Amino acid sequence: MELALRNISVSLSGKEILKSISFSVGDGDLISLLGASGSGKSTLLKTIAGIIPQTGGTVMIGGAIADALPPHRRGAVIVFQDFRLFPHMTAAENIAFPMKMRGVQKEEYSKTAFALLERVHLAGYGKYKPQEMSGGQIQRVALARALAASPNILLLDEPFSSLDENLRQDMRALVLELQREYRITTILVTHDRQEALSMSDKIAVMMHGEILQYDRPERIFESPNSREVADYFGDAIYVGGIVKSGVFVSDVVRFGADRPDGPYQAMFRPSSVHIGSDGNRAFNIRRTSYQGESYRIALEHESTGIILNAILPSPCLLRADDRVSVSLDTDKVILFRDD
Amino acid sequence: MGHRRHWPLSLFLLIEIISILMPLFILIVWSLSGRWPWPDLAPEALSLRGIQSLLGGRFDILQVMFSSTGFSLVVAVLATIIGTMAARAIVFYDFRGKKLISFGSILPIIVPGTVLGMGIHVVFIYLGLSDTYLGVLLVHLICALPYTVAIMADITRAVGNKLEIQAQVLGVPVGKAFSHVTLPQLLPGILSSLSMAYIISFSQYFLTLLIGGGSVKTLAVVMVPLIYGGDRTIASAYALLFTLSSLIVFGLFELAGKKMK
Repeated sequence: MELALRNISVSLSGKEILKSISFSVGDGDLISLLGASGSGKSTLLKTIAGIIPQTGGTVMIGGAIADALPPHRRGAVIVFQDFRLFPHMTAAENIAFPMKMRGVQKEEYSKTAFALLERVHLAGYGKYKPQEMSGGQIQRVALARALAASPNILLLDEPFSSLDENLRQDMRALVLELQREYRITTILVTHDRQEALSMSDKIAVMMHGEILQYDRPERIFESPNSREVADYFGDAIYVGGIVKSGVFVSDVVRFGADRPDGPYQAMFRPSSVHIGSDGNRAFNIRRTSYQGESYRIALEHESTGIILNAILPSPCLLRADDRVSVSLDTDKVILFRDD
Repeated sequence: MGHRRHWPLSLFLLIEIISILMPLFILIVWSLSGRWPWPDLAPEALSLRGIQSLLGGRFDILQVMFSSTGFSLVVAVLATIIGTMAARAIVFYDFRGKKLISFGSILPIIVPGTVLGMGIHVVFIYLGLSDTYLGVLLVHLICALPYTVAIMADITRAVGNKLEIQAQVLGVPVGKAFSHVTLPQLLPGILSSLSMAYIISFSQYFLTLLIGGGSVKTLAVVMVPLIYGGDRTIASAYALLFTLSSLIVFGLFELAGKKMK
């Protein structure tokens, strides 16, 4: 079901947590709310679910205004970070609970709970109590229970943050699989940029209660609309310079730029920095750090002290203090006005 | 080694036996003794005098006991329901005068019983509630509520509303979410609260006599004058009935709690 937010603002105890948030999520899409902790992501989820009332704006679910609907009639199911399984029920009873409360017949909800357990790879765990299960298993039960509620909107609040890395990969794959299978409109709250980039149809970057940019992952990464967004994805390298008569000029790079004259910061990603050994060897290697499949190289310009980062595939023969030449790929450069 | 590691536990058990079970045992012996002069360790003779006087006294004591138990059960259930609701309000909601109400809920403990009783008596006379069961019920509730509110507020705070909110977003209406998710978590507190309110009501002498004016006869009202009467055998027989009937009620509470789980 389609979800649309129009100018949602939320204040809690006199403090403004969300400031005029607007975006919409297409039917069956998965979007990520990406931002640091304290940026208001979880508050936004709770507002969508109807747990925290907004001070202004409108939540629309499936084209209808949902503001007056209590949480249990919105069909916006949250899977919380702490999973919140009911401790006095078994895994199967937890999953069956939303169906049982809806008045579904016992035979039917038992069958569905069993099928869902199987679907999240927990066949045979139906009789286990939450206290007897591991973190990963508990999360899968929580996910199955959310699906059992037949949600219009699925809201996942940092669902993978408490799992260790291997388990996290498996869970991401499972969530994507189920989301595609059930075609549930989903919002994933995360502070992990890789997670957001790899899982989402769109990403909303959130900071200080505002959405800075809402776009496809490729666009967000390659064309951030502000330095804050660019910085959130890390690894942004800035080179200061001036645009004059359609040309960006700086100590290390020069390229055509269709911008009004003035000072600018040119942003490059490490993938646009190419290291060579011919021509003007104006850069010193400050550090090389091993990353597994690649090396991360920090380069310093000898006269200006500008620092650039580059990624080189492993093995890498370069060492600290080697002198190299650097060329910058200006195809994907982004200019931010520097006032 | 294993034995030594548990010695604090064993010591605790021993103290518990001495301080709780021994008096009960002595109560049994006293209620069956004919004559037990000081400083003898055992009674000189056994007799059923205490039991006979208990069962064949001025009142039909078993009937008093049953009606008194029923009365206190009503107080316990009401005090626990009100305590649970008040605790929810105090823990989960912000409202004007919340601190005042929290403080007000413990006032009946702070103000001395006699002072409280006199004040309530005057008000109840105006309202036509003195010398009535309803009046006694209300005054018992006033005495039990500070305890039930405190017990329920503690456990409500510990349980929190996270699971209830989870149930709500899963599509479960507020009332059902409370009864199916929160209530089972609150059960231990509810049992403590029921027991506490029950014993406060069941052992209430002064206020029952004052507000009930003698027309409301609970076991405590019948028993206390006899205990002060100086005949230890008869006093012990009454005390034994009082203790055993309370123990049976607590046992039933526990049983009901286990059934609900």
